[in-house]
Amino acid sequence: MAEDTNSKEYWRWTESNWRDPDIDWKAGEIISVGIDVGSVSSQAVILVDGKLYAYSNMRTGSDSPKSAENAMDWALEGTGMTQDDIHYVVGTGYGRVNVPFAKRAITEIACHARGANFMYGPTIKTVLDMGGQDCKAIRVDQKGKVVAFLMNDKCAAGTGRGMEVFANLLGIHITEVGEMSLRVEEEPPMVSSTCVVFAKSEASGLLREGWPKEKVLAAYCLAMAHRVVDLLERLGVEEDFAITGGIGKNVGVVSRIEKELGIKALKPTLDTQIAGALGGALFARALEQKGRKSK
Amino acid sequence: MIDTFQERYENRHEYAKQWKDKTGGKVLGYFCTYVPEEICIAAGVLPVRILGSHEPQDVTEPHIFAMYCPFCRDCLAQGLEGKYDYLDGISIAQSCLHIRQAYTSWELHVPTDWSYYLPMPHHVQSPRAVPYLLAEYEKFKKALEDWTGNKITDDDLKRGIETVNKDRQLMKQVYELRKREDPPLSGLESMYMVVSSQLIDKGEHARIVEDSLKELEDRTLGRPVGQRLIILGSENDDHEFIKMVESCGSTFVIDDHCTGTRYFWDQVSLNGEDPLTAIAKRYVNRVPCPTKDWPVRTRVPHIVSLAKDWDASGAVILQQKFCDPHELDIPAIKSALEEEGLATLFLELDVTVPIGQFKTRVEAFLEILDEEDLF
Repeated sequence: MAEDTNSKEYWRWTESNWRDPDIDWKAGEIISVGIDVGSVSSQAVILVDGKLYAYSNMRTGSDSPKSAENAMDWALEGTGMTQDDIHYVVGTGYGRVNVPFAKRAITEIACHARGANFMYGPTIKTVLDMGGQDCKAIRVDQKGKVVAFLMNDKCAAGTGRGMEVFANLLGIHITEVGEMSLRVEEEPPMVSSTCVVFAKSEASGLLREGWPKEKVLAAYCLAMAHRVVDLLERLGVEEDFAITGGIGKNVGVVSRIEKELGIKALKPTLDTQIAGALGGALFARALEQKGRKSK
Repeated sequence: MIDTFQERYENRHEYAKQWKDKTGGKVLGYFCTYVPEEICIAAGVLPVRILGSHEPQDVTEPHIFAMYCPFCRDCLAQGLEGKYDYLDGISIAQSCLHIRQAYTSWELHVPTDWSYYLPMPHHVQSPRAVPYLLAEYEKFKKALEDWTGNKITDDDLKRGIETVNKDRQLMKQVYELRKREDPPLSGLESMYMVVSSQLIDKGEHARIVEDSLKELEDRTLGRPVGQRLIILGSENDDHEFIKMVESCGSTFVIDDHCTGTRYFWDQVSLNGEDPLTAIAKRYVNRVPCPTKDWPVRTRVPHIVSLAKDWDASGAVILQQKFCDPHELDIPAIKSALEEEGLATLFLELDVTVPIGQFKTRVEAFLEILDEEDLF
């Protein structure tokens, strides 16, 4: 049975690229790029004079430099732009030192903070980045500079990878698990273990007991929300609050975090997965400007 | 010259074996820094601190609870794996439950000729701590005499005190140099310097430090100092970790560690007193380990003044996983440092550290401290 679900790849989220057809990049003065090579997904964001021009979002392969190149190529697709037209590239994410054309590597913590500031505006004070294999609670100032942060430990609990495992186990597509988890009349007790491996066997047990999939998903989303709320409360949450990273798109987790915190997260205006690369591209722009001034 | 300390640290076992061959003396392995080395040296014994190796192992599971700290497990593993087979005896002065478990397990499972549990009082802030410890020292001295066959005279004790004091005083001189805008040695070099003092003959160590002081006079790091940091917390001789932090654009300029200042900061002052009393006073009044720092938390203002005097802009707070005494102090230390304008980074140590994940946190922490304009 396991092979069956695997072959259907319920975990596989949709890779995407996007471009603003109204921007003429050739008229731009500074073309800056951020590339975020995460443990699960990679993104490239292209800014033209600080305006979002194009991006790509795809799965990270086993080879970080190759993943960075793939993301870059896909973001460039159809733009007529080549790598030579780009003035400054910043690499970020777990594979940040392996981005071949990056002039500088900056941590994903700083980049998500800066990216969230762009996406949500200067009122944003607390950012929760729920990534593929870790999550970070970040407090930022009005410029988008990190004031303090906390990161979870060596563990896939509360991360995208954990949710992928559950999507596969239940045979429900990753883009649907969040919605589906809300289709319960009342919240079940949460899955007791936050460890993905243990939580998976606990969920298998619940399914055998006859729990519907919705209820199992609800129990897992609750556990995940509870775990990250712990992290947030250790850091201290101040509004405005927003969630970046892939889990930011999972309404089942997001709504439960909001409920436990008693605070609403700002509604995303852009794909939450690109926040890191976007922050990187903004830093790349600032660094290019600084470089030109000092010449 | 500075490299000698790292060499001694790395070859600690060969060193101790050679010392035995050369002198015919006994080597005493000790846990934690509350064992009075002055008395051991007076007895002609070489005290060496038992440390871990930071390598994964699978031999301690049957002997130590899973929720005891990685350091005590790592120490015991060294014994069970026979790496300290040259020791003539082992000793511990009560410090914490976890490391005492390593000691008692060692006593049971690693054949050793001699062992001594010294009941160092926990309540060092009590007026009865010194007389209590003095009485214990009398017994410890007697036991050492019976073991070695050497009578320990007051002159021997005074010689022990002088030897250790001299090394302490020289180490303080080295630490003074770290106040410089461009410190002459890195945090890693300084850690090797202090830890090697726990592993080799004190007189020899003092001579190498004395020579190094000349070398340090006009030495610089040969790289930008970057952010000046204080490192503090539970036992840490994790050179990989320290090296990683210092390679990200920072320098440790001061510490509060038992592999750093806590070990050598306080001298024994004789002042015409009987030597054992003077030693007892030193160990009762020294910068404490958090197991002994109650009801008043004396370490907090001490750490704040170290950070200020050495002009640190950030603090890396480490703790061995499951080390409750440290963990309980950390919120107080953290807020005291933050009130003084220092940023803090908290990390939890295991036997091996996840360098990649820690590096992300360290870099993000340094990005917070950096004034450089990314905006």
